[in-house]
Amino acid sequence: MNQNDLIAFFTRQAEAMGAQVIPVDGAGGIGPKLVEVLRPFGQRVALVESSMCREAGLEASLTAAGFHIEKDGAGFARQADTGIVEFDYGIAETGTLAMDATGLKARLATMLPLTCVALVRAERVRANLTEVIDAYLERGNWPGYFTLVTGPSRTADIERSLTIGVHGPERLLIILVGNNGGDCHGR
Amino acid sequence: MAGKEFKQRIHRALNNASLRGALGRFADSYIVSREQVYAGRDFESLRQRIAAIKADAAGRYEELAERFTRAVEARGGKVFRAHDAAAAREYIYQVAKEHGVTDIVKSKSFASEEIHLNEFLQERGINPHETDLAEWILQLMPGERPSHMVMPAIHLPKEEVARVFSRYLGQPVEPDIKNLVRIARRELRKKFLTAGMGISGANIAVAETGTIVICTNEGNARLATTVPPVHVAIVGYEKLVPELKDIVPILEALPRSGTAQPITSYVTMITGPVPAWRDDSEGIKELHVVLLDNGRTRMAADPVFKEALQCIRCASCTNVCPVFQLVSGQVYGYIYNGGIGSILTAFFNSLEDAAEPQSLCIGCRRCAEVCPAKINIPDLVLKLRERVVTKQGLSSGYRIALHGVVARPKLMHTLLRAAARLQGPVTHGRPLIRHLPIFFSSLTEGRSLPAIARAPLRDRVKDLERPLSRPRLRAAFYSGCVIDFVYPEIGEAVYKVLGREGVQVVFPQEQACCGAPAAYAGDRETAVKLAKQNIAALEGTGAGVIVTACPTCAVALKKDFPELLTGDPAWEARARIVAAKVKDFTELVHELTRDRQGSSGQPLKESGRALKVTYHDSCHFKRHLGLDRVAREVLNGQPGLELVEMQESDRCCGFGGSYSIKYPEISRPILERKLKNIAASGAELVAVDCPGCVLQLRGGLDQMGSAVQVKHTAEILAIED
Repeated sequence: MNQNDLIAFFTRQAEAMGAQVIPVDGAGGIGPKLVEVLRPFGQRVALVESSMCREAGLEASLTAAGFHIEKDGAGFARQADTGIVEFDYGIAETGTLAMDATGLKARLATMLPLTCVALVRAERVRANLTEVIDAYLERGNWPGYFTLVTGPSRTADIERSLTIGVHGPERLLIILVGNNGGDCHGR
Repeated sequence: MAGKEFKQRIHRALNNASLRGALGRFADSYIVSREQVYAGRDFESLRQRIAAIKADAAGRYEELAERFTRAVEARGGKVFRAHDAAAAREYIYQVAKEHGVTDIVKSKSFASEEIHLNEFLQERGINPHETDLAEWILQLMPGERPSHMVMPAIHLPKEEVARVFSRYLGQPVEPDIKNLVRIARRELRKKFLTAGMGISGANIAVAETGTIVICTNEGNARLATTVPPVHVAIVGYEKLVPELKDIVPILEALPRSGTAQPITSYVTMITGPVPAWRDDSEGIKELHVVLLDNGRTRMAADPVFKEALQCIRCASCTNVCPVFQLVSGQVYGYIYNGGIGSILTAFFNSLEDAAEPQSLCIGCRRCAEVCPAKINIPDLVLKLRERVVTKQGLSSGYRIALHGVVARPKLMHTLLRAAARLQGPVTHGRPLIRHLPIFFSSLTEGRSLPAIARAPLRDRVKDLERPLSRPRLRAAFYSGCVIDFVYPEIGEAVYKVLGREGVQVVFPQEQACCGAPAAYAGDRETAVKLAKQNIAALEGTGAGVIVTACPTCAVALKKDFPELLTGDPAWEARARIVAAKVKDFTELVHELTRDRQGSSGQPLKESGRALKVTYHDSCHFKRHLGLDRVAREVLNGQPGLELVEMQESDRCCGFGGSYSIKYPEISRPILERKLKNIAASGAELVAVDCPGCVLQLRGGLDQMGSAVQVKHTAEILAIED
């Protein structure tokens, strides 16, 4: 499969697992897109710094649109409506996101708020888990807290009725970030 | 063996409509969704890989545990090797006490339940809060037992959950599932944010890196291992695998086999302590891994039961089990359910505790078909039964029946002949007994029983054995007891069909019961005795082939005899020679008529339409002998028949030999389901390759007043065109 096919496959699988995949052409497109989609879900945003956040100027564009941004502190992400975190890889086979979540804030922001925004570079979509594990092993020390996320938090514990958002987010928005204008829409 | 209290649990479960409804609906949809989620994947090679990884690990737990410990310690974590439940409990309590912990959030852990951690901590003033939704609901219902390993509260309707929550909150709660989940989120979030310690289990532990892998859908393990400043993971030795890459096949199978999901929402891999909020600043979490033995290394040293340590706890074996579906985990008791659960209980608890749960296995072998770790659960259950019998002895009824009668063929045959004469009053001259006197009435509830034949097959064969001028083959017929004494007409059909194909058939008169009733009751002594008697009887005939028309007998002759006599210098080789000659009747017909198959098509009888036949797959015939396709080909080659498939054709009929006598209350609903499927197929005739199934199905259909007939394949082939 070439990268475009992988991206298309990833998108299909992730949506089948209950995530919403939103492709943007490049980092510059993230801010305006998030301003538009996050508005109905509340103003308080827990933002975890990353290279892409900076590249996208996310803090500035969300603040300008009236969102309240928190980046630190003892109560980080506890009261936030949305958490924004960059993930390291997408896994096409199962529509999964992978991240070295050793940093505490990345874990809190992805789990505590009802909405989770996952930023991931389209070029970082891999075919399967084995490839992703290999990629981390090549980087050296295995992460202290490695996490795979597929769709929102879910339960079927009462009458086997699928219900989302039990302990973690009920909404997983994957912003699939292309390489500025390249055809990374995945469709 | 089944005590009064155990029988009462079965009775309660069978009469709990919401339990049976929920489990039944789940099991039905599970079979379909499991197929779908594995579509396009090579399940066989996947489970071979898992079995190889886990079997290898079980052979070197000590080495892996040391490696795991070094890796965790190198990252700054602590590992405690707990020999038993008490040591594990005490260690965890001390860690909690040291940190002044009052409240603990727990994500689901079988190991913690196995060591009865919650009760222990509560008695010492510490509150453990289960955070998996189902576990939390059950925690709020003291005395309620989990009904399923993966979905422990599957039996509770939302109204019941709403009652539990309103009692907890002290205010009325609407029985709306979304609302109930919201309440759980709100209430448990408070616990996550204030607890001083998080406790988790682990699905896999990687020795190479010291990593523990946890799968959840709710995300509770993520929170329990992220927010509190201390994390204790309880990990059984059997979770150890050597390398990181070994997790891939396990993660591929666990969610697929467990809940028919391609992956769980969250897969968390923790390697050493990581940052956490401590007191008023970000610091490093304290990580303790409790490596739990509690019978596991004893199991690993056991050449027979080591295999059960391959289990990845997906519970697919219980999801396909026709017995579990009726009685649920509430009946098995202890922590681990189903056939695999009884094996684990025997080692983690005691052999005594496993005695009753293991007896629930009907031996249909469906679990072995789906186990992603390729564990031969039904065979292990039989081995366990043998050990139970060795230790506790046979119950008196079984002892008299097996040692006193079955082990003495002459006496048994005499008694059966006497029974044939004496049964007159109950049969009313009919071939089926519809009612038995009050003490035995449960045996005829829901099914009629066949009358013992007036003349057994062994007395009829002298009229059947006509010498052929130039036989293609010389075969010895091993009839087994049911054909010999209950359905000699099946034996006559075998003679007729094989004679037509040019086979000279002889009946060794010294043949006796194959010993299966003894083997399935755990009575190895009787099974060995009968194996020897039969081998001697069969090798005397000089026949090239030994034919049976009973798959259970075939399995006994082919597989059990050599196994029972392994290591016996006088008998082992003889057993193997006999075993190599054994062939099922239908299999032999298939071979003999191969050149004619498919050539004739299905010409109709001149008189009119084809007879609609449906095929019932007998458990041993399909899953031991693998002849399900062969039987259908043979029937398709028979003129005048139209083969229609019933739903769930390979689902057990509920007979299971003496099982239907021991647990008639379980056997009956399994039979009822089979009868429904038969009726829905629209067939006029059911074809079967096992005389035990013939007995069960005829009995059920007779009691229903159904006109559908049941015939052994031999009888169908014997019908003259």
